Amino acid sequence: MTSRNADAQLDSSDVSGVAGALSTLLVKYPLHKNYYLRVFAQAILTIWAVLTVTFFLVRQMPGNPIDVLIEQILTQEGISYQEAYDRVASSFNFDPDASLFDQYLDYIGDLLRLDMGTSITSPGTRIIDEIARFLPWTLFAVGSGFLISFVLGIILGMSMAYYRDSALDHAMSLISSFFTGVPNYIWGLLIIIGPGISWNWFDVGAARGTYDPGLTPGLNAAFIGSAIEHALLPIITYVLATLGSWMLSMKSSTTGVLNDDYVNVAEARGLKDRRIITAYVGRNAMLPLFAQLSISIGFVLGSGVVIEEIFVYWGFGHYLFQAITVRDYTSVQGAVLILSSTFVFSNLFADLTYGLLDPRVRITGEK
Amino acid sequence: MSSKTLSAPHPLKTLLRLPFTALVAVLGFVNRLRANRAGFIGFLGLLAYFIMTFIMPHFIPFDSEVNLDEIAGPVGSRIQLAVHRDNAALRSFEDLAGKTVGVVDQTGGPSLIAPYADSITIEKYRWTSRRAGPGIRAALVDLANQEIDAMLIFSKTVEEVRADSSDPELQALFAEHVVISNSELGPPHLLGTDTQGRGIATHIVHGGRILILTAVIGGVISTLIALVVGSLSAMIGGAFDAAMTALSNLILAVPRLILLVVLAGLIRFENTLFLGLMIGLLGWPPLMRAIRAQVLSLRERDFVEAARSLGLSTYHIMFREMLPNMISYVMINFIFAITFAMYEQIALLVLGLAPIDDYTWGVMLYFGRSRGTLYNVDGASMALSPVLAIAFFQVCLVLFARALEEIFDPRLRAAV
Amino acid sequence: MFRRTLYLLMALVLCLMAFAPLQAQDETLNVAWPYQVPPTGHFNTFASNGITLGQYQDIHEPPLAVLMWATGDYAGMVAEEFGWDDDGNYVIKMVEGYSWSDGSSMTADDLMATFNVFRLRGDAVWANMTGIEKVDDSTVKFHMDSPSSLAERIILTTNLRPASVFGDIADRAAMMSPGDDGWDALLQELTEFRPEAPVSGGPYTILPDTISEANLMLELNAGGFAGDVQNYDMVRMWNGETEVVTPLVANAELHYITHGIPPTTEEDFANRGIDIVRSGMNNGPGLYVNHAVYPLNLVEVRQAIAHAIDRIQNGVVSLGDSGVAVEYMTGMSDGLSEAWLSDETLDSLNYYDYDLMKAEELLTSVGFSRNDDGIWVDDNGDTLSFELTFPQEFADWSAAAENATAQLNEFGFDISARGVQFQQHPQDIYASNFEMAIRNWGLGDPIPGRSYLQAYNRYNGQGEAAGEGGGAGMNFDNNVDFSGGMVNVFDLSNQSSQGVDKDAQAELVTQLAISYNEVLPAIPLWERYTNNALNRNFISVPDSSDSIFANFGGGADNWMTTLILSGVTAPAEM
Repeated sequence: MTSRNADAQLDSSDVSGVAGALSTLLVKYPLHKNYYLRVFAQAILTIWAVLTVTFFLVRQMPGNPIDVLIEQILTQEGISYQEAYDRVASSFNFDPDASLFDQYLDYIGDLLRLDMGTSITSPGTRIIDEIARFLPWTLFAVGSGFLISFVLGIILGMSMAYYRDSALDHAMSLISSFFTGVPNYIWGLLIIIGPGISWNWFDVGAARGTYDPGLTPGLNAAFIGSAIEHALLPIITYVLATLGSWMLSMKSSTTGVLNDDYVNVAEARGLKDRRIITAYVGRNAMLPLFAQLSISIGFVLGSGVVIEEIFVYWGFGHYLFQAITVRDYTSVQGAVLILSSTFVFSNLFADLTYGLLDPRVRITGEK
Repeated sequence: MSSKTLSAPHPLKTLLRLPFTALVAVLGFVNRLRANRAGFIGFLGLLAYFIMTFIMPHFIPFDSEVNLDEIAGPVGSRIQLAVHRDNAALRSFEDLAGKTVGVVDQTGGPSLIAPYADSITIEKYRWTSRRAGPGIRAALVDLANQEIDAMLIFSKTVEEVRADSSDPELQALFAEHVVISNSELGPPHLLGTDTQGRGIATHIVHGGRILILTAVIGGVISTLIALVVGSLSAMIGGAFDAAMTALSNLILAVPRLILLVVLAGLIRFENTLFLGLMIGLLGWPPLMRAIRAQVLSLRERDFVEAARSLGLSTYHIMFREMLPNMISYVMINFIFAITFAMYEQIALLVLGLAPIDDYTWGVMLYFGRSRGTLYNVDGASMALSPVLAIAFFQVCLVLFARALEEIFDPRLRAAV
Repeated sequence: MFRRTLYLLMALVLCLMAFAPLQAQDETLNVAWPYQVPPTGHFNTFASNGITLGQYQDIHEPPLAVLMWATGDYAGMVAEEFGWDDDGNYVIKMVEGYSWSDGSSMTADDLMATFNVFRLRGDAVWANMTGIEKVDDSTVKFHMDSPSSLAERIILTTNLRPASVFGDIADRAAMMSPGDDGWDALLQELTEFRPEAPVSGGPYTILPDTISEANLMLELNAGGFAGDVQNYDMVRMWNGETEVVTPLVANAELHYITHGIPPTTEEDFANRGIDIVRSGMNNGPGLYVNHAVYPLNLVEVRQAIAHAIDRIQNGVVSLGDSGVAVEYMTGMSDGLSEAWLSDETLDSLNYYDYDLMKAEELLTSVGFSRNDDGIWVDDNGDTLSFELTFPQEFADWSAAAENATAQLNEFGFDISARGVQFQQHPQDIYASNFEMAIRNWGLGDPIPGRSYLQAYNRYNGQGEAAGEGGGAGMNFDNNVDFSGGMVNVFDLSNQSSQGVDKDAQAELVTQLAISYNEVLPAIPLWERYTNNALNRNFISVPDSSDSIFANFGGGADNWMTTLILSGVTAPAEM
């Protein structure tokens, strides 16, 4: 009975479109019998599909890199269109008339050689260098904000469910509703304007950037302290903006689980409250949230765009937004490659570890 | 169960009874809601929003009158009556009969005094560019020299002129001769004025309808797709499941920013509501995955197993056994889908990625922010009003969702 | 024990944080310009994304000369003597005795290198140049087809680059011609060239180690041009657009910005005692129409539109005191009109005052009438319903669009305004994919003929240079029949910046102005004035009445950099 799940999954990939093309090969080399290999191959295919879609989509965006820079120069400097065009056209490695399909083949070919190429608007700058410059900051700031928010949300949401209909519950739902309602970019602005400018709690200027100028990045106290200090505002903003939804989801999920039979059974068995909370209720209530969590992790990198702009905390979101704004196709592709890989592999990870959390699925896994 | 026993009445009869049945159902629902205070507040809030955004616009006209001297004015600012110190007794339009009153065009004064044109002599001052010296100053000088008896002027302007230290001579002249005899002559701007000197309150009334409709459309579409695709994926499995999971992965993995920039460039939206359609079509994957997981989990439960071993159809299992168990989850997520659609469309507007045509809260926020009102305490209302309108709408939705959850969830009800 | 140490450490860090910004305030000039951080940003100032710092490029790569806008004369900077010789060539003699921050001395080689790289890059300056010749160690001669005030301006506003960095590429470029084997490769080498460190010939040098997202520091380069007259040890260049720098200015951490700020922010700054400095920019938003759309091609309709919009109101609601209504409606700014047109010409112009009766008359005169709803109907029975698009990211233009729409609808048009992404909007215009649109008229340039390039060239389909961008545009026929006869206005605008005879140029400019005023291809709304926020509590510069403030400066001639190079800008005495 419990093996049905696994069977269904086996069937699914055999018939699914992309895998079907490879089926003849796979008959010869039955690698597809290996569950992990198959899931991994699916992940790679998804990434490939995303990259292909992105490749053609970005080139459909209005304006190309040359146009965008020309307009920028025209807005900033008093020169004529012709002058701007002459100056810009020669300074890019970009030919708007090149065949799209050839570009695509080149791009995929380079990727297979693990080469992400160079930026269009900064010709000669390797995209991998740019990503290495921006990515860690987002991983650090938005990532830790996200984790704090998730953990806090789980704890608060569970306590709301346990003390349902109490004053605490009502107060916290109001607060969480408010947190959910106010968009994260507004939180960012409010933090800058309220405590930052009106009340002068902190130095807006000094809080900008990712670390104090003049420090050498590395494992030294001054640098780490500075990095944490600079990341504090984005982290707070991020926690404020996402906490509410975790709280509410966890509360609603916990409420459901609390009414499940096995909790009553556990209570009847006289298990200690703490054990019921963690082992039974907590684990089961988190299950629906786990799907959300896995998806959210995939979004972590892209979700900080506006906040990073507001706090001048330049990470991956800024990099992506900037690349889109100036239509730097190759940089956008590089960023999307990172985004989609994070997303796909975090999901893969979630799928593979799903069984560890849900005892019912675990049995399937063990079989 | 009950529908089976009611051996199919005449269709017309059912139709006639429908409004009555609906009314009873709604009243019963509201009655049950009253027990849940927070939910009731949320419900009342949503009702208030409905009245404000769908009914009030028919009675309150959109303020489109530009007032050049009160750009980004503070909350409650209104037109005052400035008079010469010797005429401090002049307080109302009735007092002004037979007098000469100065008004500056494009300041709200002319339209306020227009009904009294028969009894009052109106001296019009042309609004020149502020650089070339404002007509307001010329009018105030005339007032100080008693060439006119009174003058209609916005409250903030009076403060500004008084605080303006660039010309100490004029300042002294005004301080000596000009007094405000009535600071409450005109109607107050409840929420201040925007960057064109127009009342924000009426814009809030008019700016919600399209936004809410768009959000609801987005929410309905994404929830419906998520529900259907999610439960079918879980029940059918196989190729369908794989394809839908792959599709949802693809939609999730392509950055939303790029998708929307491209779509906004390619598609010319004739109607803002299309934005809701777009958000809905792109917004279902997260909920779909959650529902899929939920159904997979429910599938293994005892009562479903029991139904299955009884040989009941998949249709029956889904709609009779599973759906009631998921309704609270779907409901609360439907509400979240609305809040998400709201958040998303406003984020798009704020980032400048959605086309701007209707003057909605999102557009107000966008203009308010890009025109710097957030950095000016007096003018912050232009951006903060829509922010609060949106935030409280979202709060009401969530409170309401909580109530729905407790009313509809059979297990919760059983527990009460 | 451990915890106590931790608290102590934290307290220490907090103290240091509190003092850090204060220490640096003394001899540092705090200004702002957006830049890209490395590796996206870099020190090749010839390539895109190079950290040039906009107008502040002048303080690390000094200009040859600066135009004083109030008088129309050039003030020499790196160029000590400059002018046309008898053969129609331009000769520049450079100042001597200055050196680059890498120690090499500043000579004619640097000028040669700079212009040879321009040639490699295909810059417009080489359009009428036939060659460049080093006369001696400080003198360079530019060989010209024909003298022109435009060429002079482009040459003199050039920022000097170091031969020690770019000399190699420049020398190789000088040996080749476009189309030669290796030319394209050399061009690619240039764009991908990444100097390890910035080399400055001006008074300040970028310190690469200090470049962060928030700001970067430039330190005094005492041996560089004007390095001997500076009043600051350091310049802190804050990074970011208006949104980002606004709170910094309010907090008095940043003391001068050139960013366009919205009126409400201006008001807030004024309340904080921050000065707003205004200079005309010779350009601003205008209402463009697609001349292929009937009846917008009728001159009466465009004139009626001009009469039906109160430009004063439009300017004030869009940009406050910095949105100054255009008065003369000549297609160039009022300042340029007054400088180049005779008083009689100015008097003879139609000022298109706000006059709804006049607008009504004009429309009635071509057989239009109002329908029952008060909406205008043209002689074909169609209502005057149009879509007006605008780039929605530009706060002032979007306000202008919103207000112009409201005013025209008040008068009886039926216009719906629609915001379009700023990258998309110009493309729509080039491709004639619009009915009405807000785009810019004029150019931030003192040469009057160039003001007409927007209407007659950029937005009018002559822009073949733009490749796919070169559509039909606004479909205006550049052969204009006006009271002065039949002229091609595009040719006229080009000719008017050729030669060096000012009277002859003025003659052509007058024709341009009158024809524009009569035909009104597009309707200028208001001229944008700068609203630079200047905190005089920290920065000492001359009073606002000084003629230097006529130099708004787009990329060149900025008054602030000019004052820095002259050693005038100084810390204010507290």
